[in-house]
Amino acid sequence: MRDTENMEAEIEFDDGEEPSFSDPEDFVDDISDEELLGDVLREKPLEADGIDSVIVVDNVPQVGPDRLEKLKNVIHKIFSKFGKITNEFYPDADGKTKGYIFLEYSAPSHAHEAVKNADGYKLDKQHTFRVNLFTDFDKYMSICDEWETPEKQPFKDFGNLRHWLEDPDCRDQYSVIYDSGERTGIFASDVKEPIEIEERARWTETYVRWSPKGTYLATFHQRGIALWGGEKFKQIQRFSHQGVQLIDFSPCERYVVTFSPLMDTKDDPQAIIIWDVLTGQKKRGFHCESSAHWPIFKWSPDGKFFARMTQDTLSIYETPSMGLLDKKSLKINGIKDFSWSPGDNIIAFWVPEDKDIPARVTLMQLPSRNEIRVRNLFNVVDCKLHWQKNGDYLCVKVDRTPKGTQGVVTNFEIFRMREKQVPVDVVEMKGKKRWILRPYIAISCFLLSLMSSDFSACLTESIIAFAWEPNGSKFAVLHGEAPRINSSFYHVKNNGKIDLIKMFDKQQANSIFWSPQGQFLVLAGLRSMNGALAFVDTSDCTMMNIAEHYMASDVEWDPTGRYVVTSVSWWSHKVDNAFWLWTFQGRLLQKNNKERFCQLLWRPRPPSLLTQEQIKLIKKDLKKYSKIFEQKDRLSQSKASKELVDKRRTMMEEYRQYRERATAMYHEQRPLRLELRGGVDTDDLDSNVDDWEEETIEFFINEEIIPIGDL
Amino acid sequence: MKPILLQGHERSITQIKYNREGDLLFSVAKDPVANAWYSVNGERLGTYNGHTGAVWCVDVDWDTKNVLTGSADNSCRLWDCETGKQLALLETSSAVRTCGFDFSGNIIMFSTDKQMGYQCFLNYFDLRDPQQIEDNQPYLSVPCNESKITSAVWGPLGEFVIAGHENGEINQFSAKSGEILKKAKEHTKQINDIQSSVDLTMVISASKDCTAKLFDSTNLDHIKTFKTERPVNSAAISPIMDHVVMGGGQEAMEVTTTSTRIGKFEARFFHAAYEEEFGRVKGHFGPINCVAFHPDGKSYSSGGEDGYVRIHYFDSPYFDFELEA
Repeated sequence: MRDTENMEAEIEFDDGEEPSFSDPEDFVDDISDEELLGDVLREKPLEADGIDSVIVVDNVPQVGPDRLEKLKNVIHKIFSKFGKITNEFYPDADGKTKGYIFLEYSAPSHAHEAVKNADGYKLDKQHTFRVNLFTDFDKYMSICDEWETPEKQPFKDFGNLRHWLEDPDCRDQYSVIYDSGERTGIFASDVKEPIEIEERARWTETYVRWSPKGTYLATFHQRGIALWGGEKFKQIQRFSHQGVQLIDFSPCERYVVTFSPLMDTKDDPQAIIIWDVLTGQKKRGFHCESSAHWPIFKWSPDGKFFARMTQDTLSIYETPSMGLLDKKSLKINGIKDFSWSPGDNIIAFWVPEDKDIPARVTLMQLPSRNEIRVRNLFNVVDCKLHWQKNGDYLCVKVDRTPKGTQGVVTNFEIFRMREKQVPVDVVEMKGKKRWILRPYIAISCFLLSLMSSDFSACLTESIIAFAWEPNGSKFAVLHGEAPRINSSFYHVKNNGKIDLIKMFDKQQANSIFWSPQGQFLVLAGLRSMNGALAFVDTSDCTMMNIAEHYMASDVEWDPTGRYVVTSVSWWSHKVDNAFWLWTFQGRLLQKNNKERFCQLLWRPRPPSLLTQEQIKLIKKDLKKYSKIFEQKDRLSQSKASKELVDKRRTMMEEYRQYRERATAMYHEQRPLRLELRGGVDTDDLDSNVDDWEEETIEFFINEEIIPIGDL
Repeated sequence: MKPILLQGHERSITQIKYNREGDLLFSVAKDPVANAWYSVNGERLGTYNGHTGAVWCVDVDWDTKNVLTGSADNSCRLWDCETGKQLALLETSSAVRTCGFDFSGNIIMFSTDKQMGYQCFLNYFDLRDPQQIEDNQPYLSVPCNESKITSAVWGPLGEFVIAGHENGEINQFSAKSGEILKKAKEHTKQINDIQSSVDLTMVISASKDCTAKLFDSTNLDHIKTFKTERPVNSAAISPIMDHVVMGGGQEAMEVTTTSTRIGKFEARFFHAAYEEEFGRVKGHFGPINCVAFHPDGKSYSSGGEDGYVRIHYFDSPYFDFELEA
């Protein structure tokens, strides 16, 4: 159709007739102004322009015209702090102002500022300003009175998020970052060699984190956090937090806390954001000056509460409202540190000495805020709170400077949480030799001064590391000064007696790693101590094995306590980056060299669904099960060695065939060789033995120097 | 057995070589003196004096008459093995990196460094023509524009030279025309050393890319790869067993900042067919720069950045040891 029309037009033009430019009578202008001069129209001022810059101030004194000028001055003084006021309106009735006024600023940001800061401003006893944005009135007026049920979101199926637990061989998984952070892989641990589950380039920009029950893998990006999970590690959730650096999951995996130093502004707290993992919603933002003591928010074990310490206050928030518990923080003057019991909703905190008031450690039940135990301590320099994993015990490591002694003395205050009134026992850390200064033993003083270095080492025997047995009542301590470091193992008995079970001296260790199941532990001398490793069984305190992973920087137990991984991370050391897999007894299973390996993290397991009775039953029938497993191990082992032997056989066969060909050619070339060397046969070492010359060679056997001067 | 320690150099060892019978061991180092030793007891037979700079390479002909050395003093010298007399001095415009006698002992080759504006050249001289030496005029000079030669060895029957380059390439250069006959690009980094098997049918290359590789000499087919986690400076093939020995370690310039344990300055023994490591020999305080098997396969020597040459005789378990297959 169109084509024919055009043709007609052309024909008309050819006729030389002047075309008519006037509109036909039935013409309707269907081109809008918007289309023609939209760019100009967009700049046209609107009535509502500047509406964002208007604030409404309530509770302004009602005054007559005589005092209006004075009021205006006062108002101006208060509100011009936030920006330039371009317009003001004081409505009046009956010769008096109405008690509310309108102020317009030059920019909406000033109005926001004014609302933030002047709301609640106390002018005098009767008048406290209420400041609102004018637009807010509009917004709240237009809220529909009727409840609208939110639209149902389609259910996204990510598959079984606990798929990895269904592995028939009960393999545990771990994440590995290598190639200086370029590549991240998930592997299933196997005695033979790791089985790759998933491997991606640039999966994360810095490092990764597992959620506490292992459901999610969190990756870090400039723009925020991504959570991955399910069988194929699909993306499950995203949290947009520019420049995020640190994260922390709530123990129940319901919430995640992120920290970024970039986003914080005065009126919009965004340094720390708490997110809902399931919906991806931002629950609340917080200000934060420094991330030095991460996690800043510590979660109660059930994930119902989270708490944060600031100067002289302890703020406890509750979920899901994210509001302050009972609408107010706890005022605790001088609070230095706090921590939740991992077993119950109990907070332990301590405050240092203040003039006549001794330092004290307090245990507080929540949400009731009952103080269930308070312990006063004297001459305290520092305290460290160590909870046993089940919350059965709390150990407070106390550094003190008792009167009359020099240096710092450390002792442990052990709180038995499961007993009535929480009894406390004290363990003193004593060096091997302890010298006590007595003024009347002058000689020993003199001796002491001679041995002063030894003396000070004894008195100020420092604690290098402390760790509770995760599911038991033992604890391990590393103490002393390098190179004389001792490791001591204590047992807290039911009657409160604390026994020293065993002490090993001259240990090369600076860290303690208990198996998550207890009983076994690894004492490691990481980094500066060259990666010395000692595998200890604490049931009878035997060293099962002493080994070394040179320059090891990390030790990671698998969640079941079957294996332990030691690694040299590229982040701390630039050569020989690798992770080694050991059994809990310290038998080396694998050396995995990975180019620029950075980090290995085991995937945590959720708590067992079995009851205590069921677990007991399994332990009782262990023999029955172990037979099955041993059978399985033997099978896979013989299979593995068969594979290796087969592989070697084929390699050998190929090599042999090659050598045969090469040797055949070598023999073919024999005449050429003879020709080149003037007929001398040099094919074998002794083939020209007749030409050899004999030579006598002396051997230097022994040297004896006899001084002849005395003879 | 306790190794024999040869202390005849003031600087790090650059190359060691046994003669065909294996009774003599020649060593050169970054000092100007080349040494000849009795391999059986470590006694020094004599020295070859004349160079004025670091000596990079040494070779001896099949009947142990002549010794050839190449040095950073921009010369390649021919010596009478027995008397130590200098027979010829071939001056070059840059350092001599590699040198060698062909199978017949009549033709020598040496390569020069790309240095001070000069190209890398591979030069061939025929010793039967004294005029070539006199005029310092090789009968063939092959320029290598792309990447300089860092190690070289004669192929069987003297038909070509197998050269390893700075970029990891291995090329066969014809001794007649100078053209490249075969190429192999299996390494990613500089070839530090190439040595041939006793029957010259195979060569082993040692590279900075932390591997050593076995090739067929004639067609340059890649046969085996031996992997380590440190740069490999030198590798040698056992004449009697299916074994190779490799020496290397952290690069010399980084050595001062690392302990011997982290440097991994051990000689490593691999099975040639299985490509598996089965033994290590400790001893050097720095990287191993060169290794060589005695032609009877009953001992081997290593020369290190620490300036020592160590001769190790194998104990009897070495000969009985076998990997399960």
